[in-house]
Amino acid sequence: MKMKKRRKKKIARVRRSAREKGAAGRKKRRGIARKRKTKKAGIKNKTGKRRKTKTLRRKRKAAGKRKSPKRSPSKKGIVRRRRVVKRIHTRKLARRRKEHKRVSVPRRPAVRSVGGSIHKPTYALDTDFEFFYELKDLISKSSPAEKGQMVDKLNRVGRIKLAIASGVFINKENLDPLITDLLIVGDDIDRRKLRTFLRSAEAEVGKEIRFTVMDKDEFQYRLAMFDRFVRVLLEGPHEKLINRLGI
Amino acid sequence: MSKGTLELLFDSKARVKMLKFLFRNIGAVFSVEDISRRIQERPPVVRREIRRLLEVGLLKQKAK
Repeated sequence: MKMKKRRKKKIARVRRSAREKGAAGRKKRRGIARKRKTKKAGIKNKTGKRRKTKTLRRKRKAAGKRKSPKRSPSKKGIVRRRRVVKRIHTRKLARRRKEHKRVSVPRRPAVRSVGGSIHKPTYALDTDFEFFYELKDLISKSSPAEKGQMVDKLNRVGRIKLAIASGVFINKENLDPLITDLLIVGDDIDRRKLRTFLRSAEAEVGKEIRFTVMDKDEFQYRLAMFDRFVRVLLEGPHEKLINRLGI
Repeated sequence: MSKGTLELLFDSKARVKMLKFLFRNIGAVFSVEDISRRIQERPPVVRREIRRLLEVGLLKQKAK
Protein backbone atom coordinates (compact mmCIF):
# COMPACT_ATOMS: atom_id res chain seq x y z
CA MET A 1 0.00 0.00 0.00
CA LYS A 2 2.65 2.40 1.09
CA MET A 3 4.71 1.72 -1.98
CA LYS A 4 1.78 2.38 -4.22
CA LYS A 5 1.09 5.68 -2.59
CA ARG A 6 4.67 6.72 -2.79
CA ARG A 7 4.81 5.77 -6.42
CA LYS A 8 1.69 7.74 -7.20
CA LYS A 9 3.14 10.75 -5.49
CA LYS A 10 6.32 10.44 -7.44
CA ILE A 11 4.49 10.20 -10.73
CA ALA A 12 2.50 13.30 -9.86
CA ARG A 13 5.67 15.14 -9.01
CA VAL A 14 7.36 14.20 -12.26
CA ARG A 15 4.34 15.26 -14.26
CA ARG A 16 4.22 18.57 -12.49
CA SER A 17 7.85 19.28 -13.17
CA ALA A 18 7.47 18.16 -16.75
CA ARG A 19 4.83 20.82 -17.16
CA GLU A 20 7.38 23.32 -16.00
CA LYS A 21 9.26 23.12 -19.27
CA GLY A 22 12.42 21.30 -20.07
CA ALA A 23 15.58 22.27 -18.30
CA ALA A 24 13.95 24.17 -15.46
CA GLY A 25 11.73 21.25 -14.68
CA ARG A 26 14.62 18.87 -14.79
CA LYS A 27 16.66 21.08 -12.51
CA LYS A 28 13.83 21.34 -10.13
CA ARG A 29 13.59 17.62 -10.00
CA ARG A 30 17.16 17.63 -8.92
CA GLY A 31 16.23 20.20 -6.32
CA ILE A 32 18.69 22.86 -7.47
CA ALA A 33 16.64 25.57 -9.07
CA ARG A 34 15.02 26.84 -5.94
CA LYS A 35 15.15 30.44 -6.98
CA ARG A 36 13.73 29.97 -10.42
CA LYS A 37 10.92 27.98 -8.98
CA THR A 38 9.65 30.99 -7.13
CA LYS A 39 10.16 33.20 -10.13
CA LYS A 40 8.03 31.04 -12.29
CA ALA A 41 5.38 30.93 -9.67
CA GLY A 42 2.67 31.81 -12.08
CA ILE A 43 2.43 28.38 -13.52
CA LYS A 44 -0.79 26.69 -12.70
CA ASN A 45 -0.81 24.02 -10.17
CA LYS A 46 -3.44 21.76 -8.81
CA THR A 47 -2.23 21.96 -5.28
CA GLY A 48 -2.65 25.71 -5.21
CA LYS A 49 0.66 26.06 -3.47
CA ARG A 50 2.23 27.89 -6.30
CA ARG A 51 -0.65 30.34 -6.55
CA LYS A 52 -0.18 31.25 -2.97
CA THR A 53 3.39 32.24 -3.60
CA LYS A 54 2.26 34.21 -6.57
CA THR A 55 -0.09 36.30 -4.52
CA LEU A 56 2.55 36.62 -1.91
CA ARG A 57 4.94 37.94 -4.51
CA ARG A 58 2.41 40.44 -5.75
CA LYS A 59 1.84 41.67 -2.26
CA ARG A 60 5.51 42.08 -1.70
CA LYS A 61 5.90 43.92 -4.96
CA ALA A 62 3.23 46.28 -3.85
CA ALA A 63 5.07 46.78 -0.59
CA GLY A 64 8.18 47.80 -2.48
CA LYS A 65 10.06 44.58 -2.19
CA ARG A 66 11.27 43.22 -5.48
CA LYS A 67 11.54 39.69 -6.56
CA SER A 68 10.56 36.60 -4.79
CA PRO A 69 10.87 36.17 -1.08
CA LYS A 70 14.49 35.60 -0.29
CA ARG A 71 15.88 33.85 2.62
CA SER A 72 17.66 36.02 5.08
CA PRO A 73 21.34 36.19 4.11
CA SER A 74 22.61 34.65 7.27
CA LYS A 75 20.43 31.63 6.90
CA LYS A 76 21.42 31.28 3.29
CA GLY A 77 25.06 31.31 4.21
CA ILE A 78 24.58 28.63 6.73
CA VAL A 79 22.76 26.48 4.32
CA ARG A 80 25.38 26.92 1.66
CA ARG A 81 28.18 26.32 4.05
CA ARG A 82 26.60 23.19 5.29
CA ARG A 83 26.16 21.92 1.79
CA VAL A 84 29.73 22.61 0.79
CA VAL A 85 31.14 21.13 3.90
CA LYS A 86 29.13 18.06 3.35
CA ARG A 87 30.33 17.73 -0.20
CA ILE A 88 33.96 18.05 0.78
CA HIS A 89 33.46 15.60 3.50
CA THR A 90 32.04 12.94 1.25
CA ARG A 91 34.70 13.55 -1.34
CA LYS A 92 37.38 13.25 1.25
CA LEU A 93 35.86 10.08 2.41
CA ALA A 94 35.79 8.74 -1.09
CA ARG A 95 39.38 9.67 -1.68
CA ARG A 96 40.47 8.14 1.56
CA ARG A 97 38.55 5.05 0.80
CA LYS A 98 40.53 4.58 -2.37
CA GLU A 99 43.80 4.99 -0.58
CA HIS A 100 43.33 2.99 2.53
CA LYS A 101 40.15 1.14 2.61
CA ARG A 102 40.70 -0.01 6.13
CA VAL A 103 40.89 3.45 7.62
CA SER A 104 37.77 5.21 6.70
CA VAL A 105 35.20 2.84 5.38
CA PRO A 106 32.62 2.96 8.08
CA ARG A 107 31.84 -0.63 8.70
CA ARG A 108 28.58 -1.55 10.12
CA PRO A 109 29.24 -3.38 13.34
CA ALA A 110 28.73 -7.07 12.94
CA VAL A 111 25.29 -7.91 14.12
CA ARG A 112 25.84 -9.86 17.25
CA SER A 113 22.88 -11.63 18.59
CA VAL A 114 22.83 -10.30 22.08
CA GLY A 115 19.30 -9.09 22.38
CA GLY A 116 18.39 -10.23 18.92
CA SER A 117 18.52 -13.88 19.72
CA ILE A 118 15.03 -13.66 21.12
CA HIS A 119 13.66 -13.25 17.66
CA LYS A 120 15.53 -16.15 16.18
CA PRO A 121 13.81 -19.44 16.04
CA THR A 122 15.18 -21.96 18.44
CA TYR A 123 14.81 -25.67 18.42
CA ALA A 124 14.59 -28.43 20.95
CA LEU A 125 14.09 -32.16 20.84
CA ASP A 126 10.51 -33.28 20.89
CA THR A 127 10.13 -36.07 23.38
CA ASP A 128 6.87 -37.07 21.74
CA PHE A 129 8.76 -38.37 18.76
CA GLU A 130 7.85 -42.02 18.35
CA PHE A 131 11.43 -43.36 18.37
CA PHE A 132 12.75 -40.79 20.77
CA TYR A 133 13.98 -43.15 23.47
CA GLU A 134 15.23 -45.71 20.99
CA LEU A 135 17.28 -43.06 19.29
CA LYS A 136 18.50 -41.78 22.58
CA ASP A 137 19.69 -45.25 23.57
CA LEU A 138 21.34 -45.71 20.23
CA ILE A 139 23.24 -42.51 20.50
CA SER A 140 24.21 -42.89 24.10
CA LYS A 141 25.51 -46.38 23.35
CA SER A 142 27.56 -45.22 20.44
CA SER A 143 31.08 -44.17 21.15
CA PRO A 144 31.27 -40.44 21.60
CA ALA A 145 34.51 -40.19 19.74
CA GLU A 146 36.58 -42.49 17.68
CA LYS A 147 39.63 -43.63 19.57
CA GLY A 148 42.08 -44.00 16.71
CA GLN A 149 41.24 -40.62 15.33
CA MET A 150 41.57 -39.01 18.74
CA VAL A 151 45.00 -40.51 19.22
CA ASP A 152 46.15 -39.27 15.84
CA LYS A 153 44.94 -35.79 16.53
CA LEU A 154 46.38 -35.75 20.01
CA ASN A 155 49.80 -36.77 18.78
CA ARG A 156 49.81 -33.77 16.54
CA VAL A 157 49.25 -31.42 19.47
CA GLY A 158 52.62 -32.05 21.07
CA ARG A 159 54.78 -34.72 22.63
CA ILE A 160 52.05 -36.45 24.52
CA LYS A 161 53.18 -38.95 27.10
CA LEU A 162 49.85 -39.92 28.48
CA ALA A 163 46.27 -39.27 27.55
CA ILE A 164 43.46 -40.61 29.61
CA ALA A 165 39.87 -40.34 28.58
CA SER A 166 37.17 -40.54 31.16
CA GLY A 167 33.78 -39.11 31.88
CA VAL A 168 31.96 -38.19 28.72
CA PHE A 169 34.23 -40.27 26.55
CA ILE A 170 33.24 -43.53 28.14
CA ASN A 171 29.60 -42.66 28.58
CA LYS A 172 29.85 -42.10 32.26
CA GLU A 173 28.29 -39.00 33.52
CA ASN A 174 30.53 -38.18 36.38
CA LEU A 175 28.86 -36.39 39.17
CA ASP A 176 32.21 -35.80 40.76
CA PRO A 177 33.29 -32.41 39.52
CA LEU A 178 36.85 -33.29 40.29
CA ILE A 179 37.11 -35.73 37.46
CA THR A 180 38.12 -34.43 34.10
CA ASP A 181 37.02 -35.93 30.87
CA LEU A 182 40.45 -35.74 29.40
CA LEU A 183 43.82 -35.74 31.07
CA ILE A 184 46.71 -34.84 28.86
CA VAL A 185 50.25 -35.25 30.05
CA GLY A 186 52.97 -34.09 27.74
CA ASP A 187 55.60 -31.58 26.87
CA ASP A 188 55.77 -28.90 24.19
CA ILE A 189 52.06 -28.72 23.83
CA ASP A 190 50.91 -26.23 21.27
CA ARG A 191 48.11 -24.29 22.89
CA ARG A 192 46.45 -23.36 19.65
CA LYS A 193 46.53 -26.86 18.30
CA LEU A 194 45.20 -28.10 21.57
CA ARG A 195 42.36 -25.67 21.37
CA THR A 196 41.38 -26.68 17.87
CA PHE A 197 41.63 -30.30 18.89
CA LEU A 198 39.35 -29.71 21.82
CA ARG A 199 36.90 -27.81 19.70
CA SER A 200 36.62 -30.60 17.20
CA ALA A 201 36.42 -33.16 19.99
CA GLU A 202 33.63 -31.18 21.60
CA ALA A 203 31.86 -31.07 18.27
CA GLU A 204 32.14 -34.81 17.98
CA VAL A 205 31.10 -35.54 21.53
CA GLY A 206 28.39 -32.95 21.62
CA LYS A 207 29.27 -31.77 25.08
CA GLU A 208 31.77 -29.59 26.74
CA ILE A 209 34.92 -31.37 27.66
CA ARG A 210 36.57 -30.79 30.98
CA PHE A 211 40.23 -31.27 30.43
CA THR A 212 43.45 -31.08 32.32
CA VAL A 213 46.89 -30.50 30.91
CA MET A 214 50.05 -31.02 32.84
CA ASP A 215 53.64 -31.75 32.03
CA LYS A 216 55.35 -35.02 32.73
CA ASP A 217 57.16 -33.91 35.86
CA GLU A 218 54.05 -32.63 37.51
CA PHE A 219 52.15 -35.78 36.70
CA GLN A 220 54.87 -38.01 38.08
CA TYR A 221 55.09 -35.91 41.20
CA ARG A 222 51.35 -36.16 41.69
CA LEU A 223 51.42 -39.88 41.02
CA ALA A 224 54.20 -40.40 43.53
CA MET A 225 52.43 -38.57 46.29
CA PHE A 226 49.11 -40.29 45.61
CA ASP A 227 47.43 -37.11 44.62
CA ARG A 228 43.72 -37.42 44.97
CA PHE A 229 42.99 -36.03 41.56
CA VAL A 230 45.14 -38.52 39.73
CA ARG A 231 44.17 -41.44 41.91
CA VAL A 232 40.45 -40.91 41.46
CA LEU A 233 40.93 -40.75 37.75
CA LEU A 234 43.06 -43.88 37.57
CA GLU A 235 40.86 -45.86 39.91
CA GLY A 236 37.65 -44.88 38.21
CA PRO A 237 36.51 -45.95 34.78
CA HIS A 238 38.89 -44.61 32.22
CA GLU A 239 40.58 -45.42 29.00
CA LYS A 240 44.19 -44.78 28.17
CA LEU A 241 44.43 -43.34 24.72
CA ILE A 242 48.16 -42.85 24.79
CA ASN A 243 50.42 -44.43 27.36
CA ARG A 244 54.13 -43.92 27.04
CA LEU A 245 54.78 -43.82 30.75
CA GLY A 246 53.98 -47.45 31.44
CA ILE A 247 51.20 -46.87 33.92
CA MET B 1 31.08 -49.84 18.73
CA SER B 2 33.18 -49.92 15.64
CA LYS B 3 34.13 -46.72 14.04
CA GLY B 4 31.77 -44.64 12.02
CA THR B 5 28.79 -46.97 12.35
CA LEU B 6 26.32 -44.21 12.97
CA GLU B 7 27.87 -42.06 10.29
CA LEU B 8 27.45 -44.84 7.76
CA LEU B 9 24.00 -45.65 8.99
CA PHE B 10 22.77 -42.10 8.92
CA ASP B 11 24.60 -41.15 5.79
CA SER B 12 25.76 -37.82 7.10
CA LYS B 13 28.42 -36.84 9.53
CA ALA B 14 26.76 -33.55 10.30
CA ARG B 15 23.51 -35.27 11.14
CA VAL B 16 25.18 -37.69 13.51
CA LYS B 17 27.05 -34.88 15.17
CA MET B 18 23.88 -32.93 15.53
CA LEU B 19 21.96 -35.86 16.97
CA LYS B 20 24.75 -36.58 19.41
CA PHE B 21 24.86 -32.97 20.41
CA LEU B 22 21.11 -32.75 20.88
CA PHE B 23 20.76 -36.00 22.76
CA ARG B 24 23.59 -35.16 25.08
CA ASN B 25 21.95 -31.84 25.84
CA ILE B 26 18.36 -32.89 26.24
CA GLY B 27 16.04 -30.20 27.45
CA ALA B 28 18.14 -27.37 26.16
CA VAL B 29 17.06 -25.02 23.42
CA PHE B 30 19.36 -23.96 20.63
CA SER B 31 19.38 -21.64 17.68
CA VAL B 32 20.96 -22.53 14.38
CA GLU B 33 24.01 -20.48 15.28
CA ASP B 34 24.44 -22.23 18.60
CA ILE B 35 24.34 -25.64 17.02
CA SER B 36 26.57 -24.56 14.20
CA ARG B 37 29.19 -23.30 16.60
CA ARG B 38 29.06 -26.29 18.85
CA ILE B 39 29.21 -29.03 16.26
CA GLN B 40 31.58 -27.15 13.96
CA GLU B 41 29.41 -27.32 10.91
CA ARG B 42 28.36 -24.52 8.66
CA PRO B 43 24.94 -22.93 9.31
CA PRO B 44 23.41 -23.95 5.96
CA VAL B 45 24.24 -27.57 6.69
CA VAL B 46 22.76 -27.28 10.14
CA ARG B 47 19.69 -25.59 8.77
CA ARG B 48 19.16 -28.36 6.27
CA GLU B 49 19.41 -31.01 8.96
CA ILE B 50 17.08 -29.07 11.20
CA ARG B 51 14.54 -28.90 8.43
CA ARG B 52 14.71 -32.66 8.05
CA LEU B 53 14.40 -33.33 11.74
CA LEU B 54 11.49 -30.94 11.98
CA GLU B 55 9.79 -32.76 9.15
CA VAL B 56 10.24 -36.07 10.88
CA GLY B 57 9.02 -34.63 14.15
CA LEU B 58 12.10 -35.21 16.25
CA LEU B 59 12.65 -31.51 16.63
CA LYS B 60 10.21 -28.82 17.50
CA GLN B 61 10.49 -25.15 17.03
CA LYS B 62 10.33 -23.18 20.22
CA ALA B 63 10.25 -19.48 19.52
CA LYS B 64 10.14 -17.22 16.54
